[in-house]
Amino acid sequence: MPREIITIQVGQCGNQIGMEFWKQLCLEHGIGKDGLLEDFATQGGDRKDVFFYQADDQHYIPRALLVDLEPRVINGIQNSEYRNLYNHENIFVAEHGGGAGNNWASGYHQGEQVVDDIMDMIDREADGSDSLEGFVLCHSIAGGTGSGMGSYLLETLNDRYSKKLVQTYSVFPNQMETSDVVVQPYNSLLTLKRLTLNADCVVVLDNTALNRIAVERLHLANPTFAQTNSLVSTVMSASTTTLRYPGYMNNDLVGLLASLIPTPRCHFLMTGYTPLTVERQVNMIRKTTVLDVMRRLLQTKNIMVSSYARNKEASQAKYISILNIIQGEVDPTQVHESLQRIRERKLVNFIEWGPASIQVALSRKSPYVQTTHRVSGLMLANHTSIRHLFSKCLGQYEKLRKKQAFLDNYRKFPMFEDNDLSEFDESREIIESLVDEYKACESPDYIKWGMEDAGEANVAAALDSKLVV
Amino acid sequence: MDDHQTQDLVKELVHRLISAESGGGGRDAGGALQYTELVLDETEVSEAALVRDVLYACQGIDGRYVRFDKGSDAYDLPDGVRVPRSTRTLVRKLCELGWLFRKVRGFISDNISRSPSDAATEVGTVAQAFCSALQEELSDYYKLLAVLESYSLNPIPTPGSDSGVSGNYLSLRRLAVWLAEPAVRMRLMAVLVDGCRGLRGGAMAGAIHGHAQHGDPTFQDFMGRLLRRVCSPLFEMVRSWVLEGELEDVFAEFFIIGQPVKAESLWQEGYLLQSDMLPAFISPVLAQRILRTGKSINFLKVCCDDNGWADAATEAAVCVGTTTSRGGLGYGQIDALEALVVEAAKRIDRHLMDVIHKRYRFKDHCLAIKRYLLLGQGDFVQYLMDVVGPELSEPANRISSFHLAGLLETAIRASNAQYDDRDILDRIKVKMMDHGDGDRGWDVFSLEYDARVPLDTVFTASVMKRYLKIFNFLWKLKRYYIMFEVLEVSWARFSEEMDSAKDLDDLLLAHDKYLTSIVEKSLLGERSHGILRNLFALFDIILQFRSHADRWFERIYELQLRGKGKPKSKAKAKSKEVDSWVDGGRKAMIQLAGELFRKMGEDLDSIAKDYTSSLDAFIAQLPMQQHVDLKFLLFRLDFTEYYSRVSSNK
Repeated sequence: MPREIITIQVGQCGNQIGMEFWKQLCLEHGIGKDGLLEDFATQGGDRKDVFFYQADDQHYIPRALLVDLEPRVINGIQNSEYRNLYNHENIFVAEHGGGAGNNWASGYHQGEQVVDDIMDMIDREADGSDSLEGFVLCHSIAGGTGSGMGSYLLETLNDRYSKKLVQTYSVFPNQMETSDVVVQPYNSLLTLKRLTLNADCVVVLDNTALNRIAVERLHLANPTFAQTNSLVSTVMSASTTTLRYPGYMNNDLVGLLASLIPTPRCHFLMTGYTPLTVERQVNMIRKTTVLDVMRRLLQTKNIMVSSYARNKEASQAKYISILNIIQGEVDPTQVHESLQRIRERKLVNFIEWGPASIQVALSRKSPYVQTTHRVSGLMLANHTSIRHLFSKCLGQYEKLRKKQAFLDNYRKFPMFEDNDLSEFDESREIIESLVDEYKACESPDYIKWGMEDAGEANVAAALDSKLVV
Repeated sequence: MDDHQTQDLVKELVHRLISAESGGGGRDAGGALQYTELVLDETEVSEAALVRDVLYACQGIDGRYVRFDKGSDAYDLPDGVRVPRSTRTLVRKLCELGWLFRKVRGFISDNISRSPSDAATEVGTVAQAFCSALQEELSDYYKLLAVLESYSLNPIPTPGSDSGVSGNYLSLRRLAVWLAEPAVRMRLMAVLVDGCRGLRGGAMAGAIHGHAQHGDPTFQDFMGRLLRRVCSPLFEMVRSWVLEGELEDVFAEFFIIGQPVKAESLWQEGYLLQSDMLPAFISPVLAQRILRTGKSINFLKVCCDDNGWADAATEAAVCVGTTTSRGGLGYGQIDALEALVVEAAKRIDRHLMDVIHKRYRFKDHCLAIKRYLLLGQGDFVQYLMDVVGPELSEPANRISSFHLAGLLETAIRASNAQYDDRDILDRIKVKMMDHGDGDRGWDVFSLEYDARVPLDTVFTASVMKRYLKIFNFLWKLKRYYIMFEVLEVSWARFSEEMDSAKDLDDLLLAHDKYLTSIVEKSLLGERSHGILRNLFALFDIILQFRSHADRWFERIYELQLRGKGKPKSKAKAKSKEVDSWVDGGRKAMIQLAGELFRKMGEDLDSIAKDYTSSLDAFIAQLPMQQHVDLKFLLFRLDFTEYYSRVSSNK
């Protein structure tokens, strides 16, 4: 009875990072490209059944759904060395194969039409689990399929599996380069609404920051998608180690997230990882101690979300919670010492309205993956500065909306027909209030925030909105 | 002193002066004769007779005049015998030797001359050795007396006196000289005999040793001779104990005693040090080491069914240079004994540690206990809770432990525990503690680890009880307190000490330290009762909140389902013809929901209030705890000093 987690990867980006994630998991568990256990993978101690199940012939099969509206990426997977890894019944490619044309509304609408097929797959996977813990959605928020169809799936999942957790790994677009997707701000805004209302936890993967890290930290002149995706897979696999290598704590997703998310709406997590390496780049060997790793994790340059805050605002930003997952040979006494040092030097600025602390989970490291450093660490942090990322999204949306640009593509779909753009306004309102809430978290009086207008309105709102438990 | 006596004394003195003059010069034999006659006149008893009597007395026999007087407990001349006061004094003085001899002889005969069967049970080998040594000394003494007796019978002509009729060569005075040294020795023996009365074995050797600390070389010689004899049986016992693990102690003389006990308590209670039987020349440290070495051998023999120790023992003996045969050691060779013990202890303990670690995989079992009883195997614990949860909500007396055992197996199969060694998994058992009325399964459920011989020496019943206590605590605590700080840190220390433990005692001590540190840091120690009560109050409140939350979820979910009838979003409201019934239903529902929310708010407020006050109490108590590690807990809980700020603002 493992706490199974079903991964749903939607769209081009979702499938790309998903594939990297499964590659990494296979490596760590000693599972071959065909799903068979490697001969050397005899050491127990890891739990494969959280993310895999075994077919009758002992194949390990990922509990994963591969969904896309265009066949390119999935075909790529099906022609790769990993083609026999996945359950072919779990692959969904739209028959017309035309994609969503980077249009959220198209993705959402197509999702609505094929939802029965996809939910059948999900139900089958869920029935195949003993005690399903929840779902992980991999997607990007800027394109059409991952954002639009992902949004629809989020709503449906939330409705059908209301007691299960939904975590997403959401890739935010690179703001530094001009995108070929001009309607990116629309798509992002509409997706953000669903991420706010229908997900229990969103791990924000900011392409801008990933690129910056690849350039600055890894000294890659022009990082490829494969390279940034390998960063993503590192983060995804590291954030699931405590689920896969059971120890005292954090052996299930809810245990992992509960301590990070004290209030339901502020569930957007940043990540940081150290020491960072990409494939074929092992020349940077550092001394890694627990203190060293924990200190590096607090440095903004290692954090995979860009900070758009102005200086004054940045100084007011606060950590709501931090969980450090430390992997490798760690002397547990060092953890305490490191925490003491960090507190003495006031390296972390925590919220003032409640107790907060750096939580540390020690986890084993895969014996099959050789690394040059003894200790590595992943930070999952709930930080108020994430609001600046949302503000940036809002700002870009406002610019576009003011010009009434590119709205025709959306009006073609039922949600926006008859020039009904209230969905945009509603989404903007929700994101604004999310930004406000994160801002409120920076003040000591956050606990009283939103209590003023309690009453019947709230009751009705609660009835209309989705339950998030 | 009356006048008459004074007169006697003066006369005596005068005579002596004269006699000395005549004896020294030897010119005036007639005068001397006169003097003798003069003396004979005054004394009824001749000096020769007295000498003979004294010699008799010195052998413990009554003479013609000198007899043992029970009343005054001394040899004495009866009052009727007329002798000069000086002579009487001298006789008394000389007869002291007889008195001492009687005492020594009495002791020997008390200890030896019983019927053999009696002696076997009453007297020990040490006492026997002591008696035989005394007897040897006495035989010298007998020889001397025989010589003296012959002197007294065959007068040797005094040089200077030409006639053969001179007085006896052996005068009382000469006797005094002859007997001076034997008297010293006899007195010492008598003192020893007195000191040893009622003692046995090691205690006796210790008592004798107590008298040996003396500066006089002859004294030391004598004592050394004696002690070598006395201690030889004792050393023999030590040798056979540390090399063979045998207690050759028929007469209960050794400073180690064995007790018949079960195998699991052999180490702790099987053998004890008898401090009153421990002679002072064996230091307590050495004694402990002796005890442990033999104990290790017996532990290996009885509990581990191992024979490898014999090689270790032989090796040790060879190394020290003693043979493993008997009689190799004696008093005065404490260094040799210590060397033997140290070598034997080193090798045998090393062998024992090897057996415990390699054959009985001590560390593996400790890890297993940490994984299963201290809930280190997170997934296992989670599934166990999942599967036994519903069962444990039943009243305790309705739960079948067989069923639970089945569920335990399920949890093992489902979790990564399944890859663990079968031998280890078979030892995990469900244990239902004693339960009273109204106890639920949760209150009495616990896991047990069957350590089996020989590891049950470490994991004794009382140790397991402490583990159970921790288990029960963790079982409730899971998720609320970062346990790795307690468990992992303690474990790291234990693991280090385990590796450096040279013998089973070290290992036991290390393990005890480990367990105690967990108990203390988990607030389960004696001193933490108050704070623990608060913690459990907090748990209760948390559980209350959970059950409330579950209920609220159900209610809201229910309301939501009923609310589904209405269009979801105004934007999508295609069916504009709003049914009045639906509208009315919505109103009623909002009212219902309002009521629910109000109730929820009240419940939440009251729980929050309870929680805050309990938490405040807990936090406030924490800095007062004795254990230094608990301060770290406060540090972790109050990392941002939030609680300190809140409490200082009050």
